[in-house]
Amino acid sequence: MSWAQDDRGSAFVLTLLLAPILLIALAGVLQLGALRVAAARVRAAADLAALVAVNDQDDAELARSGALRLTADAALVAREYFARELGLSSPLLDRPAAEIAAAADVAAYSSAPAYDARTGARYDRPTVRIAADVPVRTPVFGALILRPVTMLHVTAVSSPR
Amino acid sequence: MRLRVCATAFAFLVVCSSPAQGRDPFRDEGRSEPLPPESELDPAPFIAPPPDLYYVTDTYVADVVATSGPLTTYTTTTVHESTGSYARTLDTVGTGASSIYDGSAFNGRRALGDGRLVAGTYYENYVLIDAGFVPVSIVFFQDDAELARLLAEPTPPGKVVVTPPPSPAGTATGLSPAACCVATPQWPLAIPAPAPTKPIRPGISLLAASAPLSTVEVLRGRAVALWLRAFVDDREVPVRSWTLIDGEAGDALVTAGAGRVPFRSSWRRLAPPGAAYHVVFRIDVDTPETGHRTVNGTIAVVVRSPALQD
Repeated sequence: MSWAQDDRGSAFVLTLLLAPILLIALAGVLQLGALRVAAARVRAAADLAALVAVNDQDDAELARSGALRLTADAALVAREYFARELGLSSPLLDRPAAEIAAAADVAAYSSAPAYDARTGARYDRPTVRIAADVPVRTPVFGALILRPVTMLHVTAVSSPR
Repeated sequence: MRLRVCATAFAFLVVCSSPAQGRDPFRDEGRSEPLPPESELDPAPFIAPPPDLYYVTDTYVADVVATSGPLTTYTTTTVHESTGSYARTLDTVGTGASSIYDGSAFNGRRALGDGRLVAGTYYENYVLIDAGFVPVSIVFFQDDAELARLLAEPTPPGKVVVTPPPSPAGTATGLSPAACCVATPQWPLAIPAPAPTKPIRPGISLLAASAPLSTVEVLRGRAVALWLRAFVDDREVPVRSWTLIDGEAGDALVTAGAGRVPFRSSWRRLAPPGAAYHVVFRIDVDTPETGHRTVNGTIAVVVRSPALQD
């Protein structure tokens, strides 16, 4: 039997070649799961901020017309709460939460109907809309010659119904 | 010898005697003797009402002013109902006669068109407590009529104005036939039709001085205050009292109050989609301009809650 026909040790070699590939695949799956968790937390932060802003109503306008209207600072309230909620996930973020919230596109439509210039949606009630790009750290992706920071695009829309 | 035998037999019987072995009917229940009868609590001592007090069987409901042509009658409506209270007659007054109880009745004593006070009877209501009979309120049962009032202060023919009391506490009974003062007509029978009374327009607003609303949107669980108001010719008149008579009151603790007190509530339950809670208030107005009248005000409450959209 020649050496070419001798298969002793082939399993070791095969394992040595496939193990890195399996480890890389496993790390990618774990990173993808972590990214999905981060995306859920960022989306929840935007949703909660929009809800809080809608819950802040203009009492004077309500007394005058009997209809719910957003306060003049509804957009500021939404941005502030978005920053606060993002701060709870700061280890996952690539930039400070306040900076992300400051760069977010927050729009408050006090009267209805209104049309969203960004999304084209029609709002039949006073509405708060938050659209933000949230950079999330993905170090495993960076190690795999991908982007070390993944940008998440979130949009939250809330109105009283 | 015979006597000795008899004495010995008697002594033997006495020594060997034992109690009769009767069946114990309570043996199966674990006790040998029936329990003594439970001592019954003494009933509440009966307190007889004083001779001038009587048990109320008819409860005061409202003062009624009915106009039929030239005749205006002032009566009191009652409902046959026992509230457990007692009453006594304080004073029976005729038309224009004053009484020491004037101003003490919770439902007041109105005046005729010429300014004289109406005839009727004052009753004082009592409740029975441990300390005895305690007076709680005075009610005036009006019973009068007039003819001349229409010439000076016209009222639509056939109009009946029911003016309920500010609180339903008044009770009395035994309406006495108070002196009615239907005056002898001094004018010809052809009386011109009276002009209609100025209508009272109810208003409900979120502030004491804001615009009246027919519909209001409120956030779920948010406390709001609804002010009950009344207007005559776009001029606001004071509201004496108000009562919630229909609709979903939400979490309101008080459903009646004085005019200076708003109705406060919050709604934690949303109405069906596209629907609203229609809340109806009875607004009581009593001013020299309007007299004692009531109007109903309705407001539609739309309860909303912040929600997310896709």
